[in-house]
Amino acid sequence: MAQFLQAAAYGVVQGGLLALVAVGFSLVWGVMNVVNFSHGALAVTGAYLAWFLNVHVGLDPFLAIPIVAVAMFAFGYVIQRGLINLVINAPIFLTLLLTFGLSLVILNGLQLVFKSDDRTIDTSYASQSFALGAVNVPYGRLAACVLAIVITVGLALVMNRTRLGHAIGATGMDRGAARLMGIRARHIYAVTFGIAAALAGIAGTMIATVGSFNPTTTPGQLTLDAFVISVLGGLGNMYGALVGGLVFGIAESIGGLLLTGTWVNAIAMAVLIATLIIRPTGLIGKAQYSGRVEV
Amino acid sequence: MSAGSLAAILQPRRRTRREVLRDWIRSRRPANSWPALVGLAGFAAMLGLQQLIEPGTQRLVTAVFLFVALAQAWNLIGGYTGYASFGQVAFFGLGAYTVAVLMNNYHISFWLAMPVAIVAGVLFAVLIGVPLLRLRGHYFAIATLGAAEGLREIVNNATPITGGGLGITIPTFGDQVPTPYFGKPGFYLAFLILAAASVAACALVARSRFGYAMVAVHEDEEAAGAVGINTTLVKVVAFALSGAIVACAGAFYAFQQIEFYPTDVFDASFTVLMVIMVMIGGSGSIAGPLVGAVGLELLSQFLRVNLGTYNQLIFGAIIVLVVVFFPQGVVNYFREAVRTRRFSILDNVRRYRL
Repeated sequence: MAQFLQAAAYGVVQGGLLALVAVGFSLVWGVMNVVNFSHGALAVTGAYLAWFLNVHVGLDPFLAIPIVAVAMFAFGYVIQRGLINLVINAPIFLTLLLTFGLSLVILNGLQLVFKSDDRTIDTSYASQSFALGAVNVPYGRLAACVLAIVITVGLALVMNRTRLGHAIGATGMDRGAARLMGIRARHIYAVTFGIAAALAGIAGTMIATVGSFNPTTTPGQLTLDAFVISVLGGLGNMYGALVGGLVFGIAESIGGLLLTGTWVNAIAMAVLIATLIIRPTGLIGKAQYSGRVEV
Repeated sequence: MSAGSLAAILQPRRRTRREVLRDWIRSRRPANSWPALVGLAGFAAMLGLQQLIEPGTQRLVTAVFLFVALAQAWNLIGGYTGYASFGQVAFFGLGAYTVAVLMNNYHISFWLAMPVAIVAGVLFAVLIGVPLLRLRGHYFAIATLGAAEGLREIVNNATPITGGGLGITIPTFGDQVPTPYFGKPGFYLAFLILAAASVAACALVARSRFGYAMVAVHEDEEAAGAVGINTTLVKVVAFALSGAIVACAGAFYAFQQIEFYPTDVFDASFTVLMVIMVMIGGSGSIAGPLVGAVGLELLSQFLRVNLGTYNQLIFGAIIVLVVVFFPQGVVNYFREAVRTRRFSILDNVRRYRL
């Protein structure tokens, strides 16, 4: 039982971390119908930035978050404005192809500069944990999980309460109508992608703090996880990624306890396919986006 | 007039097989037979090329042929039918493992194992196609991706049969060899025939009644259903055809590699390359995937040899540039440009931008 609780607790904090990775991905997919293959690459870029600030400036990763977020926002804004906007009206898989090429460029660039070694940001607290009854909770992952929840709630507030959020939502629902209302779709798309890149950068920083990362295997895994979580949670709802991430994290963690070897990966995929067949809008996705599912 | 006679009027005149053949031969013109002639000439040229190059170079060209077959197969489901599968590598791995397991565990001849691999590909396509082809767009893509990852894990964990993560080896020497190894020249021929057969098969399918049904499903699935096309059947058959070709390619690839691991033949980058080749060449045509596969594979080999560590970086940059400048694919761009006599690439970029 204690083992089970421990796995569940780990699943919750791990799920929070993955939700932070997925929330930006889900936002971009929901608003622009772009599946961003370079999301993992953006997260790793943020991780390297935070790692660099930590090693060479001595900045704590949590204090580095604002700098990483601003830098990544600018980077994402430029990518969307300069590249992705150029093919936004082409068939949907072109954007996927474009972001795939982009991720190759980013990751190989990073690999040339930083080599392909595993990196981690060392802090005195990230590997410490406190006992909650029979369950050990690591501080670093707990902080990452809390941050994920705070950011998701913040993002939901921005989307629902501000003019910018309404503009993003409107552009996502009907771009033509939004433009007629005087919304600059190019700018709004770029801002959306910038927000997603900033969130990816923050997530990357957290991953670097609680674990390790490298430019070869981490990005692909993160993109795939983000994809699965977005589908699981559903699009069009800012809390979708959070719910999807928590469910995914807990399922993986408990699955890892019950199953041997790499079967847990197969179970994750089975859950994904079952979700798509039974409830393609995701757990709490909005029906409006199910138009794109078209079952 | 009774309904029976109306049906009789609408029926085409019955022709014997000989008359059909005669009409077909009479209807041949340079305008409608040049693709077949060009294809035959290309095939002959590749046969001639083999005599000119060394076995080491032949091996590199073999990879080009492999990707031609894979790109054509992906184009059937992703290009013509409009269902972009991101799990076609599942068929590749399935074909490879079917052949390896049959040859290694049961000492069955390759020529018997390969058809079994194709049948396995078709069965798997029907098994996952029926539930998954109800999904569209990105959702179909992720679901097929999941199916491929799932199949890889099953192969990875079925250690008693497949050898699991330790890999599997096809016996190629000793007394009990099921089929003698082809060697580099042999595989050059084998993959050339595979590529030619897939191009020919896809061309025939695309020009058939079924091919039009696939395009109709792509253009507007509801309308296609309304005019009496069984859309589910069309989608599943297209998926199975594509899966059969990919499984066959996987079978040959397995025999060529001799020893491999689940991560090799279920590598998602195979799927990604298929998609990229078709998209960059131009989907929904025969020439597009051909040009895309030959161009990209030669380019990537050239970069690998000449640019060392920078090759992936440059490769990614080229993908980005081609996508931005030729969003509809290189072949489709030139086809349209020649027809409308508007060659401006900047105008082409403006068409799809926000």
